[in-house]
Amino acid sequence: MSGTRRDTVTYAFAVTRACPPADALAAEAGHDGGGPLRALPAGRLWLVVQDVPAQAFGGDRLTARLNSPDELESCARAHHRGVEAAARQGAVVPFPMATMYLDDRNAVQAVTDREPSLCALLDRLRDRTEWAVKVHAAEASAASGGAGDAAGAGATGGRDYLSRVSARRRTVREEHEKALAAAQAVDHELRRYAVAATRHRRQSEQLTGTRAPQLLNAAYLVEDGRRADFARALARLAADRRHPAVEISASGPWIPYSFARPEREWHGSCQEARA
Amino acid sequence: MTDVSPWTTNPDPHAYPPANGSLADLLERVLDKGIVIAGDIKIDLLDIELLTIRLRLFIASVDTARRAGIDWWETDPALSSRAARDALAEENARLRAELDTLRDADAATDPATDVPERVG
Repeated sequence: MSGTRRDTVTYAFAVTRACPPADALAAEAGHDGGGPLRALPAGRLWLVVQDVPAQAFGGDRLTARLNSPDELESCARAHHRGVEAAARQGAVVPFPMATMYLDDRNAVQAVTDREPSLCALLDRLRDRTEWAVKVHAAEASAASGGAGDAAGAGATGGRDYLSRVSARRRTVREEHEKALAAAQAVDHELRRYAVAATRHRRQSEQLTGTRAPQLLNAAYLVEDGRRADFARALARLAADRRHPAVEISASGPWIPYSFARPEREWHGSCQEARA
Repeated sequence: MTDVSPWTTNPDPHAYPPANGSLADLLERVLDKGIVIAGDIKIDLLDIELLTIRLRLFIASVDTARRAGIDWWETDPALSSRAARDALAEENARLRAELDTLRDADAATDPATDVPERVG
């Protein structure tokens, strides 16, 4: 870096124990307009960074850019690519998107200041991956209310109408409760194969683009050695005829973003993190 | 119907999503999770949910539009910076053309409008 006015800032992706291979870093594109990905030594750890243009990543400018859907997406994907490149050589502790420092020295300082807790976290995340599981109410149960209405359309009288309405409401409520119970059962079963589990905020119907309400948005931290067991449990639950009220979808393995959190929070992570 | 993503067919332990995870899943993680160590540069993010909803709606509309053969998002300035530049260029050209027209009109009517003033 030259001069007092900086042209670039140091964007930090993740921390690792082993230095990620230089060719893996060089092969990743990182953020648009930035330099090649680099690994900086930080005490016993390595920090994967990229020089990014200060002009595009300065506070206000970046906030404005992230409000544009396509820039938000490309920034999120670039961040994920950087974290992924850092993960080639073992466990990583990912940083949230847009963790930036004025220069390398500050970035390294921030890591070395927290070296013991980052080391402990790396140990906990080693050989473990995250699995995202969502449970939605089955679409069919949402539609069943309408069928009763059509069947009873021939009947006359206000009293009939009211009793039909209240019966339909009862059915809807009962089905929702049944679906919620099924989602709980799925969560309970999957936790048996995970070292930790956490719940994310349920995604709205607007966000998922489906009409079926989301009942569970969970993440599980699974030991590599138990991955096959976890996958089998998931397949079993998905095929289980006892849970016709719900649909299960899963994705993984994820870098354990949801479990990269300070020790004091980690111990409580088997509980619901966020309603 | 149950939808289990094809992750079971992916035996590579180092291949990570979002190949099969949704963009909302990715944002939920990269924006909101990961260990927070204070950076030097602060950014002011809107609520994650809001950002992801906005993105989801954008993608949903693009998908729908694409199926219908519409490409409005490429020309809507609110959605594309390239479109914003195009819109500016277009507006600029239109204003220049208007200006030229006005100048021509002005030049044509100048003697006529000037005369009464001088006389009056």
